[in-house]
Amino acid sequence: MPITRGLVARDLRVAVENKEILKGIDLTVEPGRVHALMGPNGSGKSTLAFTLAGHPGYQVLSGSATLDGEELLELPPDKRAKAGLFLSFQYPAAIPGVSVANFLRTARMAVRPEDLNPAKFRKLVFDKLDTLDMDPAFLGRYVNDGFSGGEKKRLEMLQMAIIAPKYAVLDETDSGLDIDALQSVGRSVNALRESDEGKDIGFLVITHYPRILKYVPADVVHILIDGRIVKTGGPELANEIERDGYDGVRDEAAAARA
Amino acid sequence: MPSGVSETLATLDFTPTAATLDRVITFLDGQGDGAASDTALRCEALARYEALPAPGARPSRGWKYDYAALKFEELRWTSGRIEMATIPSRPAPRPRPVEAGDDVDRPALATENAGGLFFVGATRVDAPSNVDPRITVVPLTESSKHHFAARLAGTLHEIVDWRADKFAALATAFENCGAFVHVPDGVQLDTPIQIVFASAPDDEAVFPHVVVILGKDARATVLERHVGEGDSFTCGIVEVHAGDGAELDYAVVQQTGEAARIFFSRDARCERDAQVRWHLAELGGALARTVLGAKLAAPGARAEVSALFFNTGMQHVDLTSGADHTVGPTSSDTVVRSAATDRGQGRYVGNIVIRPKAHRSDASLRDDALLLSKHAHIDSIPALEIAANDVKAFHGATVGSLDEDALFYAGSRGIARGEALRLITLGFFEPVIARFPGAALRDEIRTSLDGKIDDATEIDL
Ligand SMILES: Nc1ncnc2c1ncn2[C@@H]1O[C@H](COP(=O)(O)OP(=O)(O)OP(=O)(O)O)[C@@H](O)[C@H]1O
Ligand SMILES: [Mg+2]
Repeated sequence: MPITRGLVARDLRVAVENKEILKGIDLTVEPGRVHALMGPNGSGKSTLAFTLAGHPGYQVLSGSATLDGEELLELPPDKRAKAGLFLSFQYPAAIPGVSVANFLRTARMAVRPEDLNPAKFRKLVFDKLDTLDMDPAFLGRYVNDGFSGGEKKRLEMLQMAIIAPKYAVLDETDSGLDIDALQSVGRSVNALRESDEGKDIGFLVITHYPRILKYVPADVVHILIDGRIVKTGGPELANEIERDGYDGVRDEAAAARA
Repeated sequence: MPSGVSETLATLDFTPTAATLDRVITFLDGQGDGAASDTALRCEALARYEALPAPGARPSRGWKYDYAALKFEELRWTSGRIEMATIPSRPAPRPRPVEAGDDVDRPALATENAGGLFFVGATRVDAPSNVDPRITVVPLTESSKHHFAARLAGTLHEIVDWRADKFAALATAFENCGAFVHVPDGVQLDTPIQIVFASAPDDEAVFPHVVVILGKDARATVLERHVGEGDSFTCGIVEVHAGDGAELDYAVVQQTGEAARIFFSRDARCERDAQVRWHLAELGGALARTVLGAKLAAPGARAEVSALFFNTGMQHVDLTSGADHTVGPTSSDTVVRSAATDRGQGRYVGNIVIRPKAHRSDASLRDDALLLSKHAHIDSIPALEIAANDVKAFHGATVGSLDEDALFYAGSRGIARGEALRLITLGFFEPVIARFPGAALRDEIRTSLDGKIDDATEIDL
């Protein structure tokens, strides 16, 4: 079988506390492309993100998830990150007592153990901070401890920029951001995509709003309803949803299944 | 005592009994050191030791150690020895680092010291250190007590309530070494005074007594260390008197060997606008019992307590801290972080007393415990007694396990579970470490905690 490059889910069925949430997901995010995933609250978007990242609370019933042909589902979370996956959390966890600087260095060393001397690492961090309009004082603060919602999202983007993964799942990174923060995030993602390290990153952008897609244009848009991808289309699909809500696609899907 | 003269060393089998104390007193009499008042005090202290009940074992909670079962087998009491007299008749020329004893594996000391003393068991092994000429740092002996009687009055045997504390009474009865630190009015030191207790190679019962007196507006840092691998039993007292406007950081780093038992009662009296900051890192020993207190005796006085312990293997740590607000306005701030893994057992009792006259006082007590294995246990027993109105008193306590969300978050960044456990556990202690004086000391504590994580056999749930 030829190796499929991409972040690929095949017939992925997932339960949480014995309740089936994802009911057969098929999805391929190719290198360098942007897929948007939209869907109503509770449809299973974060469940997909957590399942890909290896959260222990999510029980895979069937199917597979591969990254450039490597099966992810057997791996612990850190090995998935080392394989090239990055998840930007909808609700990032705090790690009190661990400074951002220390955490960034530890994460970068874990994922990319190739030697980056302290001076180069420092320059990398300061460049990325600048792109994100983040105060270097953040480096001395504890990871997400007492951070505002927007600050947490910027820190997610800072980590993504420093790790430079192969595939990134952005779970509502745009939610709760003011206009300036959204612009900074957009600028940071684009700077990464324009860099040598980042030009082949495949993105799965989970969002409720098309506005982030203005900064990071999607190649493909998927609609997830009740654990199934019911519709896939081009960028215009996001605007349709914004205008008409999910009722139309929901009805179409129900009719198709009947 | 003339300079350069060795004392005779007495060594006897130790039991906490009148028979042993008789032999101690006979020896001290022979040395010409047994003043009648001291003899009476030792006898009274032993009587208190015998009369007071063992601190509660509290079988209803998880703490399982019962002090009534304490054994004193094969321990020796020595009179200690001072190879050279160290009561300076005139000021030493210039401060410089403390010199090491020859064959003793001593810990790295800060290169800069305002003065220091180094004990192996009860015996002081180093030559007279070069003490900052403005201050006094001398061994506490029967003769130095008499020499400095005027300065010690009101502090010596007066700060720690040995009549009510069984082990403080034991320490008073059998006292065999110690230090007296005096920082006169207005003297502000930039470098710490270090007092190091290393366990003797053979099993010793050591009863240290440290007295620290700070004059008006004096400022100092004292670092008390406990090191060494011996199976020692240490039972000591620390008494602090901080005069008006004085500021003292008193840090204790306890890194004794895994069979050591170490008990200390430390108390302070803070006068008007004085601040005493206790910093305590209990890292070693089989059984460590510490009672830490501060009496806020005049308006503006403040006490801070920053304490941490991390019990691995079979270690037991029993910590009681107290702030006694006798008048107002006074303030206290207590932060305790503890963790336990393997079969480690811990207990923290936090006492805040705000007496009727302590109006407008402010007390805060925060205590968090982290359990890293199924068989580890930590009790948290806060007790607030508030008899004044118009006060602010905060208290919060948690006992929890590692945050799985944080572990997953770190994992999603490529950080393997073991490394994430280490990171999060060290981070847990950080709020207390950050309050210790000196970057070098903070780093040393981080390194020591890191080593304990390596040594723990069972660190995941
Ligand atoms: N740990 C959990 N325990 C119980 N139920 C869960 C858990 N995680 C998810 N679920 C349930 O799974 C369903 C899908 O949740 P998920 O978080 O994936 O939705 P979502 O599409 O990300 O929603 P939102 O847009 O609100 O973020 C919901 O009904 C949710 O309650
Ligand atoms: Mg979600």
